[in-house]
Amino acid sequence: MSFFWFVRHALVAQFTRVPPLDQFVRHMVDAGVGSIGLLTLLIFFAGLSLAVQGYAAFVRFGGQEFLGLFCGIGGIRELYPVMAAVICGARIGANLAASLANMQISEQVEALEVMGIDPMNYLVAPRLWAVSLAMPLLCAYADVVGLAASYLAAVHQLGVNPGNFMAQLRGIVGWEDLAAGVFKGVAFGWLVAIVACYHGYRSAKRDGAEGVGIATNRAIVHSAVLCIVLNMILSAILYV
Amino acid sequence: MSEQASGRPPAIVLDSVSKAFGSHVVLDEVSLTVRHESIMVMLGPSGTGKSVLLRCLVGLLRPDKGRVLVFGEDVARLDPERPRDREELFRIRRRFGMLFQDGALFDDMTVGENVAFPMRMHTSKSEAEIRASVDDKLRRVGLPKAASKFPSELSGGMRKRVAFARAIALEPDIVLCDEPSSGLDPVMSATLDELILELHRTLGMTFVVISHDTAEARKIADTIGLLAKGKLVTYGPTEQVLRSNHPALRQFFERSTDGPIQVL
Ligand SMILES: Nc1ncnc2c1ncn2[C@@H]1O[C@H](COP(=O)(O)OP(=O)(O)O)[C@@H](O)[C@H]1O
Ligand SMILES: [Mg+2]
Repeated sequence: MSFFWFVRHALVAQFTRVPPLDQFVRHMVDAGVGSIGLLTLLIFFAGLSLAVQGYAAFVRFGGQEFLGLFCGIGGIRELYPVMAAVICGARIGANLAASLANMQISEQVEALEVMGIDPMNYLVAPRLWAVSLAMPLLCAYADVVGLAASYLAAVHQLGVNPGNFMAQLRGIVGWEDLAAGVFKGVAFGWLVAIVACYHGYRSAKRDGAEGVGIATNRAIVHSAVLCIVLNMILSAILYV
Repeated sequence: MSEQASGRPPAIVLDSVSKAFGSHVVLDEVSLTVRHESIMVMLGPSGTGKSVLLRCLVGLLRPDKGRVLVFGEDVARLDPERPRDREELFRIRRRFGMLFQDGALFDDMTVGENVAFPMRMHTSKSEAEIRASVDDKLRRVGLPKAASKFPSELSGGMRKRVAFARAIALEPDIVLCDEPSSGLDPVMSATLDELILELHRTLGMTFVVISHDTAEARKIADTIGLLAKGKLVTYGPTEQVLRSNHPALRQFFERSTDGPIQVL
């Protein structure tokens, strides 16, 4: 089974029928709610660092008043979507790959097939929908946490004027920046899910427990690499 | 009455089916016919391709050569990677129920949900009807109180019985059982044999049962086959096979170490 065969069939399964709702909801909750704690923690620190680093650079030429702009654009368009994709992607991808691989080695996927139920429709499609919708929501949430952290650092630690910081966010950072970041989230979510499902799905009974580990490992590494490459491509396209 | 006279094709026909993994030939020119509404028991030492044979019947594996006819339709011709064939394959598979060797229960569902699953997916039965049917199936396999347990809380033998209940949930035309009795105590195993006979008698289900247990074969089979090293050593009506003097068969029935089947 090649990756391209898998992608083609997954797309057909995803867009030609309504996915099983219970599966969709479960994975949406798993991927979305389950990632919030980890994401909050890491994005908060990232938001702090972004403000501190930005300040350290801008202060050299007296440009520290641009900190709001820098934290807004850099965070929303670039840093937070990528971080959400890599952090939540690792978590979500590992879960998906491990659970599908486990279903393969214990013949549960084949049991579905014999029941006349296409695992592409029943297992893969709802996971693709769930993660492609959860990831942009997580990105939007990360934006809020990250900006709050940057604001805290800028205003309370670095002494930037609070009104100025907010005015830049409101005035210069626009909805299109938010949309760009959230759109990236959809793309990363789908990518994470398809890579994880592929590695989980192609495990087989004879791979045994070791196969679950291998599938999980590949899902994490491949999706992180692909998300970062895709981010570069999307940034280039979205800025033109 | 012959099959031709009744106008019904046999449930399953294998026509010189061969399957190899790399250079390892697992099935070698296997041909057999399973009549409609019969019980066929396939005996054989482990590792000789009995499970591979079952997988070929439902198109989970494609034989390298030969035809696999299920009610006259060739499953081996269908390529599960081609969308049109895939639909066809899924349609044919709904005539089957299958008990996997290790149960293959969905471990994120309770026992009751496992048994209900095929009904939820393929019928428009009401929740109450499904629940009644699940309770009935679980009672028949001797697990009336297990519905709300998870598969991980059950012993291997119990899981197998749940898997059997799930395999018969839709009362399919053909039930494939991969070693239903291994891992069960003798009493439970006898109960399962009775259940197979009852389902066969009352609903006319066709059974293909893989087994190591010659007593089970004697009790339920109307056709017995013996598979050894990928070859169908003998195949025929139970009385005929039991009377035959085929050395491999005698060895199997007498649980003897000397004979054509050598493990060491
Ligand atoms: N997917 C597969 N890939 C490679 N070899 C396999 C595969 N499935 C089964 N085999 C081999 O085929 C042989 C028969 O297996 P199987 O049908 O499971 O035996 P049994 O008669 O005990 O059910 C074994 O030697 C096994 O290693
Ligand atoms: Mg087997």
